[in-house]
Amino acid sequence: MQTRNVIAGLVLGTAVAAGLALALRNAGEPAAPVAATILPAGNELPEFTLLDQDGAPADRSVFEGRWDVVFFGFTNCPDICPATMTLLGQAKRELEARGSDPLPRVVLVSVDPERDTPEAMARYVAYFGDGNLGLTGELEELRKLTDALGIFFQKAETGDGAYAVDHSTAVLVIDPQARLKALFTAPHEVANFVHDLPLIMAGE
Amino acid sequence: MRRLLVLFALVAAAAGCDSPEGPPVVADNVVVTAPGAGMPMAAGYLEITNQSGSDIRITRVSSPDYATVEMHETIVEDGIARMRSIPVLEIADGETITFERGGRHLMLMQPAGTPGTITLNFYSDDVLLLTVSAEFTATMD
Repeated sequence: MQTRNVIAGLVLGTAVAAGLALALRNAGEPAAPVAATILPAGNELPEFTLLDQDGAPADRSVFEGRWDVVFFGFTNCPDICPATMTLLGQAKRELEARGSDPLPRVVLVSVDPERDTPEAMARYVAYFGDGNLGLTGELEELRKLTDALGIFFQKAETGDGAYAVDHSTAVLVIDPQARLKALFTAPHEVANFVHDLPLIMAGE
Repeated sequence: MRRLLVLFALVAAAAGCDSPEGPPVVADNVVVTAPGAGMPMAAGYLEITNQSGSDIRITRVSSPDYATVEMHETIVEDGIARMRSIPVLEIADGETITFERGGRHLMLMQPAGTPGTITLNFYSDDVLLLTVSAEFTATMD
């Protein structure tokens, strides 16, 4: 019986020691993003002038002073755009529930400025949560932003004169100095945003 | 995403005879989402199972609640989403085709009003294959 107790004690002691060692090792390792690609230096956004959902001019400074998660889409996109905006809204609400500070703003930049008026953008972005920003405007100004960020978009006929817009699916993270700081590539998941965004925003 | 109740799924005997085990074409897990009031379009998702005993072709979809319904597919390649029309959807006997987020979907354009129920009619040329009605969802969640 005594021998059995000694063995049991040794096993327990070894397990506790191993657990402590693992905990200490993990404590020394900085948490790493699980999905995002981080640009340590950050890429400065170019100068541009678009319109926000109220029709007011919005230039580079609209991204200054806060963190933004930015998706490029269009309001006539029935599938992947509302799906992505929904995920971003869910992620933001979950971060808020966890007490995360700061909280990023969700931004939709239209790649279909021909149809996406500020009024259309206002209805659209408001649907996915409070405080969202929608940007639209002249195609030439939009190109300044998308070209600098490596965002692709192109009209594609779908028949009977209708069209969709092919576009990049990445979600970009813009820091308070209006620099591209990180990006998420599709497929997007709420859990990835919730895990990585606080790390990105803490690494400023 | 909120799953919606399929109120009924009726089938015209177009592609084959009625099976004693059930209707020849069956819809399941029907979801209709809309991006909000005032927006011009909604999206529909569902599963269609062909148990008619022969292959079928869906050539068009219509709805009394929307001016136009098109079958589309989102294809994501190299980080770019491309949406393309599906002119004809072929479903082999015994096969289930899924319309889902980020893939095949129904694009419902120009609503006739704000109905509480959406009816979708699936045709093979002029023959009605399947009618599905589902509650209209008000949210994306």
